[in-house]
Amino acid sequence: MISIRKLCKEFIVSDGKVAALKSLDLEVAEGEFFVIVGASGSGKTTLLRCVAGLETPDIGEIRIAERRVYCDNPRIWIPPQERNFGMVFQSYAVWPHLSVFENIALPLREGAQKIPRKEVNDRVLKALHMVQLDEQKDRSATLLSGGQQQRVALARAIAVNPRVLLMDEPLSNLDARLREEVRGKIRGLAKQLGATVLYVTHDQIEAMAMADKIALMSFGRLLQYGDPMELYRRPNCSEVADFFGSVNWLAGALVGPELVETKIGRLTVCGQGHSGPEVVVGFRPESLQIAVQGDDSRENVFEVDLRSSIFLGDQFVYETTVGDLLIIGKSRVPPTCGRRLRVYVDSSDIMVFPRSGTGDPALSDGRREGGIKRLKTVSIPG
Amino acid sequence: MEAVLRLPRLIGIRIQSSPLLISLAALPMLVILVLVAVLVWVSFQTGIIGTPDASYTLNNYVKIFGEPFVIKVFWNTVIFTIATTITALVIGLPIAWLAERTTMPGKGLVYTIMTLGLLIPGIYTAMGWTFIAHVRIGFLNRWLIEYFGFEQGPINIATPVGMGFVQGLNLAALAFILTAQMFRAMNPSLEEAAKIHGIGFLGTMRRITLPLAFPAILAAAIYMITIGIATFDVPAIIGLGNRIYMLSTYVYLKANPPDSGLPEHGITAALGTVMILLALLFTWWYSRVLKQGHRYEVITGKGYRPALINVGNWSVAAWAFIALYFLATKLIPLLLIAYAAFTPYLAPPSLDMLSKLSLKGFYNLNWDLFWRGLYNTILLVVSVPLLTLVVAFSISWLIVRSRSRLRYLLEFGAFLPHALPEVILAIGALLLALFVMRGIVPLYGSVWLIAIVYVISRIAFATRALNSSLLQVHKELEEAAYTAGLSTVRTSWRILVPLIRPTLMSVWIWTAILVYRELTVAVFLVSHDSITLPAVIWSYWFSGAINEASAVTLLMTAVLTPLILVFWWFGRRQIMPEN
Repeated sequence: MISIRKLCKEFIVSDGKVAALKSLDLEVAEGEFFVIVGASGSGKTTLLRCVAGLETPDIGEIRIAERRVYCDNPRIWIPPQERNFGMVFQSYAVWPHLSVFENIALPLREGAQKIPRKEVNDRVLKALHMVQLDEQKDRSATLLSGGQQQRVALARAIAVNPRVLLMDEPLSNLDARLREEVRGKIRGLAKQLGATVLYVTHDQIEAMAMADKIALMSFGRLLQYGDPMELYRRPNCSEVADFFGSVNWLAGALVGPELVETKIGRLTVCGQGHSGPEVVVGFRPESLQIAVQGDDSRENVFEVDLRSSIFLGDQFVYETTVGDLLIIGKSRVPPTCGRRLRVYVDSSDIMVFPRSGTGDPALSDGRREGGIKRLKTVSIPG
Repeated sequence: MEAVLRLPRLIGIRIQSSPLLISLAALPMLVILVLVAVLVWVSFQTGIIGTPDASYTLNNYVKIFGEPFVIKVFWNTVIFTIATTITALVIGLPIAWLAERTTMPGKGLVYTIMTLGLLIPGIYTAMGWTFIAHVRIGFLNRWLIEYFGFEQGPINIATPVGMGFVQGLNLAALAFILTAQMFRAMNPSLEEAAKIHGIGFLGTMRRITLPLAFPAILAAAIYMITIGIATFDVPAIIGLGNRIYMLSTYVYLKANPPDSGLPEHGITAALGTVMILLALLFTWWYSRVLKQGHRYEVITGKGYRPALINVGNWSVAAWAFIALYFLATKLIPLLLIAYAAFTPYLAPPSLDMLSKLSLKGFYNLNWDLFWRGLYNTILLVVSVPLLTLVVAFSISWLIVRSRSRLRYLLEFGAFLPHALPEVILAIGALLLALFVMRGIVPLYGSVWLIAIVYVISRIAFATRALNSSLLQVHKELEEAAYTAGLSTVRTSWRILVPLIRPTLMSVWIWTAILVYRELTVAVFLVSHDSITLPAVIWSYWFSGAINEASAVTLLMTAVLTPLILVFWWFGRRQIMPEN
């Protein structure tokens, strides 16, 4: 449905040029809910705006349903008006001088489609019904709450029956509780309409909760794309692993085909042969499991000192050390059976990446070897 | 197709910028450049200008700098400008401080009075003060002669200092507006710190407040000097008849010599070029001072609630000062004009004169001339604000929304008419019509030539007002319309124009009022057919028909008053529908 090839885009800033997109390729299938996720400045919004036609790329090609909307050679550029998309903006962009009804009706009446007057009425009411704003139709858009404005923006986007819906961080201005509620509704609505959705967010939880497919962007490049589980469980680099959740990183050396020597001992890992002896290994806090009797025969069992533990309601997060290494674990049972703890990690839960010298991102700055960002903890008395 | 698609890449503007928009924005700047170029070009010519017979020399410059009379004119201008600046600051600055930093009551009224001060034409004050303090006919002088037995009137308004005083009265409102902003934005904790450390009121004023305010005051002063150098109306109304010349009126004399002498356009152009250089110099200085002022960080983005100084009963004195200013600048001149309109000849108001009031001044009017003037003026008042808005909107939109580096050029271009006084634009347009367009388009003597110069001279203000208004409209509001399929023009019409309507309205009315009362450009460019109302007043006044001039002024005021009221009405409702 959306097909992007070798897309490049540079911005001219006061002190030179910044490459926002670096030869990016992407395929989105019809009817897919596709989420682009990345830190701020990764180029994800630029990508979306290029697809929308609000930004003109420098090089590359964009096809929508096999129709070229942008191409550098031969030069083709279809203006946003003729691309026939629905778009929800981060600021909602609800027109403040119009009522709720007029906000949705204006694109229908005066947009590219020029829908007859009596049909406009039906379409607007239908769209308002879908977002449950029937009651508010004659109110001034500025009198609505943030959540309601967000729904007006959504209704306006779907009222034109677009084949593609573009969303630029539509939930980032809502409060946390409302956000959780709305993300399910947006996904449901998109599936109901059968629209292809390109959705941009910086929130990895939001991405995982909504997406059929996720693409992670960083500095204008696509690091990895696939379904949410794949990105979480089988990231192709330490950056992807870090983005979707905490990881305990350790420097290691490959000593056998599936054996890595680290500061916490010799770990068995799964998988293919890695190039070079220098590697980083990592596992997520929830993969650290507390050993009970009978677990001694498992692989990768080691002893840690329990430092502290906090109770978050659904789980405990505890901080342990091995020598000078900090290792974080998560558990549903309180890890309070003494200062010393036996733990293990399944070999299938361990990620192994080649180490790129001492400056490996997985082992640098906030994520030094043996730990993740220090959580606020409560010390366990004596 | 290809050409249209190439445009966004070439110009680097986000959405397909229609060529129409770009040409609308670029056209006025082109005209300015042409005007300046023509001025400079003519200034180097002698002989039959604009033909192959002309010879290119420096003679014009040699002439103006070699003639003692021109040096005297320069001197007059310097004295006039200094007097203007001092008068304006001495009145405007204290009122600004009172209105912003003290507990004086009735501050809304102060703002009303000062805005009126900006709107009421400067020629009113000039005419009124001629009636008050002209050495022969001035009422004040007549009384002083009568009661104190002076040989001749002791006060002479027709001197550089006198005219500077009158122009200072006019510009006091501007000085007020410029410095009030600064007092409002001044961080009060700086003054409070001085107080806490034991420095008294006067000490704080002298050591803290004024030094902090100095860059802004200096900037305001330079701004007024820039205006002062090129002021035409006050020196023309008071000085021309008495043969006291400023640069601007001397230039007028060279272009329109009395007693059927030949116009010396080469000299006019050379003087105009010198004025351009002076204007650019002062504008450059002005922007430098503004930049340095930011170092003090007196003005920050934060909204302070400045600590107000309790003036107690002094507010009576303060109000007396403001009332005196209002009387001297607006009310008394206007009353005297009305009085002169109904008297058969000019004499100080007395019971004897009251019985002689008549409509003779009105009967004597050349009504044909008046209607022609009114017709042309209405034509200008209807067309110029509209054109100005269309052009300024195009420029502002490109400046605010485009990311191309060319937008800096546009911004500078939109600032140019602000730096170039109306006199220069008028001379440039005159020379352009006479020597370049003569054979191509018969612009000379056409009201459209005046309209073009008006539009250009109003762009700087309109663009700045629209810039700040457009900046407040989130660009996603526009983008939402584009993705929803609305064309660029339709988006402007349905989304942008309604959102910035209050600003559009106030710019429209403001421009209309300024066009309605404009004298400088009109006097340089009018002909028999294209005469405007202010030019009618001017021609009566200049020919000595003072009572008729007053009568036309009174009629003109009758139309101006509702316009000002409309401005007021829109000004009050200047609330943006914020998103």
